[in-house]
Amino acid sequence: MTHAAPQGILDARIDEIEAICAKYPSRRSAMLPVLWMVQQQEGWISQAAMKEVAEVVGCTAAEVYEVVSFYTMFQQRPTGKYHIGLCKTLACAICGAFEASDYIASRYHIPPGGVSPDGRFSMEHVECIGACSEAPAMLVGPVLHGNLTPARINEILDHLS
Amino acid sequence: MALATEYTPVFLPAQDSSRTEWLRDYNGGGGYRFAKAALAKQPSEVIDLVKDSGLRGRGGAGFPTGMKWSFLPKGAQPRYLCINADESEPGTCKDRPIMEQRPHLLLEGIMIALHAIESKQAFIYIRGEYYKGAEVLQKAVDELYAAGILGKNALGVQGREMHIVVHRGAGAYICGEETALLTSLEGYRGYPKLKPPFPAVSGLYGKPTIINNVETIATLPILFDKGVDWYKSFVHERSTGPRLFCISGHVKRPGVYELPMTVTLKELIYDYCGGVRNGHDLKFVIPGGSSVPWLLPNQIDHPMSMEGMAQAGSMLGSAGCMVMDHTVCPVWALANLSAFYKHESCGQCTPCREGASWLFKIVQRIENGGGVPSDMDLLAQIAGDGTPNTGQISGRSICALGDAAAWPVGSAIRQFRGEFEEHIRLKGCPYKNKRFWMDGGKFVNEAHPGKATVGAAAHH
Ligand SMILES: Cc1cc2nc3c(=O)[nH]c(=O)nc-3n(C[C@H](O)[C@H](O)[C@H](O)COP(=O)(O)O)c2cc1C
Ligand code: SF4
Ligand code: FES
Repeated sequence: MTHAAPQGILDARIDEIEAICAKYPSRRSAMLPVLWMVQQQEGWISQAAMKEVAEVVGCTAAEVYEVVSFYTMFQQRPTGKYHIGLCKTLACAICGAFEASDYIASRYHIPPGGVSPDGRFSMEHVECIGACSEAPAMLVGPVLHGNLTPARINEILDHLS
Repeated sequence: MALATEYTPVFLPAQDSSRTEWLRDYNGGGGYRFAKAALAKQPSEVIDLVKDSGLRGRGGAGFPTGMKWSFLPKGAQPRYLCINADESEPGTCKDRPIMEQRPHLLLEGIMIALHAIESKQAFIYIRGEYYKGAEVLQKAVDELYAAGILGKNALGVQGREMHIVVHRGAGAYICGEETALLTSLEGYRGYPKLKPPFPAVSGLYGKPTIINNVETIATLPILFDKGVDWYKSFVHERSTGPRLFCISGHVKRPGVYELPMTVTLKELIYDYCGGVRNGHDLKFVIPGGSSVPWLLPNQIDHPMSMEGMAQAGSMLGSAGCMVMDHTVCPVWALANLSAFYKHESCGQCTPCREGASWLFKIVQRIENGGGVPSDMDLLAQIAGDGTPNTGQISGRSICALGDAAAWPVGSAIRQFRGEFEEHIRLKGCPYKNKRFWMDGGKFVNEAHPGKATVGAAAHH
């Protein structure tokens, strides 16, 4: 292909999307699965992506935005290559979540709400992630880690490139 | 009556928690024999068996499961089963190990429930943060289709169609509320709806729908395996069967403990979890997820059953139990929980949206030293006294999140009024250095109320 016909990010995945839609009595139910598909592929969900999702699930882009903005896991901006979701709710908070957060932010140079200069890490504080008995806990991308200590954190994050 | 000490776990038998039990190992390699046994019975017989067991929902409200099923209108099709795997109530982490370690226990339970309620289609709504759980469940579902256990002729029974879809949420506590779960599954913002109509009459896509928690449904194969009499032998008042207790916070051995509900909160903390760590004193306990009333050390000698926790002055809720030692400032802890509810209010109802936000602001202000004496009345006015239908939120909103936001405030003040007033009088928090950083199981720096502390936590 020589020149740039505008290409959709979901073009190559239409069959997968149709298979998802077929699982539900209503096409609209594919909304969250398709948004997850976008985020897994692109790392975040752009306005352009929302337009495409609107087309495949059969609604307006505004309706897709309404959904994206409701769910905290959907990212509307690029994140670091490894996005950290550090739990700040009570069980983790009393087991050192904020201390873990300070430690991670300073060791890996993650500015509040931003991405580390090397592009590796971003971090947000999230509410209870269902690992309370292994507090403090965090998700690094899709992987859950609990019982965080400085040594554990180094072990988990140092080798991620 | 069987004793807690004689109990051998059946949901989560001792095993490597990183291991998943796949189809070939499930039921000792015997496949879905309990679902087969269920399918050989009439649906009404299965419902009667569940009613007889006394099983009550494990999601928090404790509604009798068999009774819920019998509310479905006769004959109406299609009808759906939704599994609530949203597990987001702070302190609760019991459904995750079931899904990660024993997906087929849940899936076989789903097939038994589908048969009982005469439905063909189940959806598992699993919170977005449970990446591993969703992946494991999807693989396990794929195993079932490949083995012909799910599909057009489920378990080889001609014409008995059964399907299970794994559906991921994307980060919203409110989607654990059953009507919000359904709107989310339909592809919208997770807004709760007013009841009635109840989902059993008009639920997913407007069709009759049953919503049950993961642990509730995972109980079904166990009822067939061990028998209803075995199940009922573990009983405290009207709370039957074993339960998964999640213990977090300042105990020596936090974890998920599977025990009969005759076990007392005190035994759980001291005998099973080894007591409070670092030789500290117990300050308070939140025994059933973040929304239930707080208990003081002299209130914990009660069984961890619905009735036992009611007698103690709290609720069993989701059985997620958070334990706080004497280094925890109750005002700071309340501000943490109020921040949670403020963040998670879906914003539909004014009393909840505005109320949760104000509660957080006022509690935070008191914690930060900006509190004034009239704040205590203001909090009581908004939040009530920690019981239903008091204050300006509870009982005035669409769903129970409003109540959940208000109750901890009333309860915290009842238990620790003096400490709130102390914050206001001192214009600050008397717990000078709230550092909780653990390293190798030891506090790097310990905080003691009222005492000056030595240096900041050594973590830079
Ligand atoms: C704000 C709110 C959050 C809830 N979160 C959950 C949850 O994460 N998991 C759950 O099983 N039930 C949750 N529930 C309870 C459900 O609405 C519902 O009662 C339960 O899933 C029914 O299943 P059960 O009868 O098997 O317990 C929540 C309720 C409210 C009001
Ligand atoms: S009570 Fe709160 S969470 Fe529930 S519907 Fe109203 S605003 Fe939303
Ligand atoms: S409070 Fe952090 S995982 Fe539950």
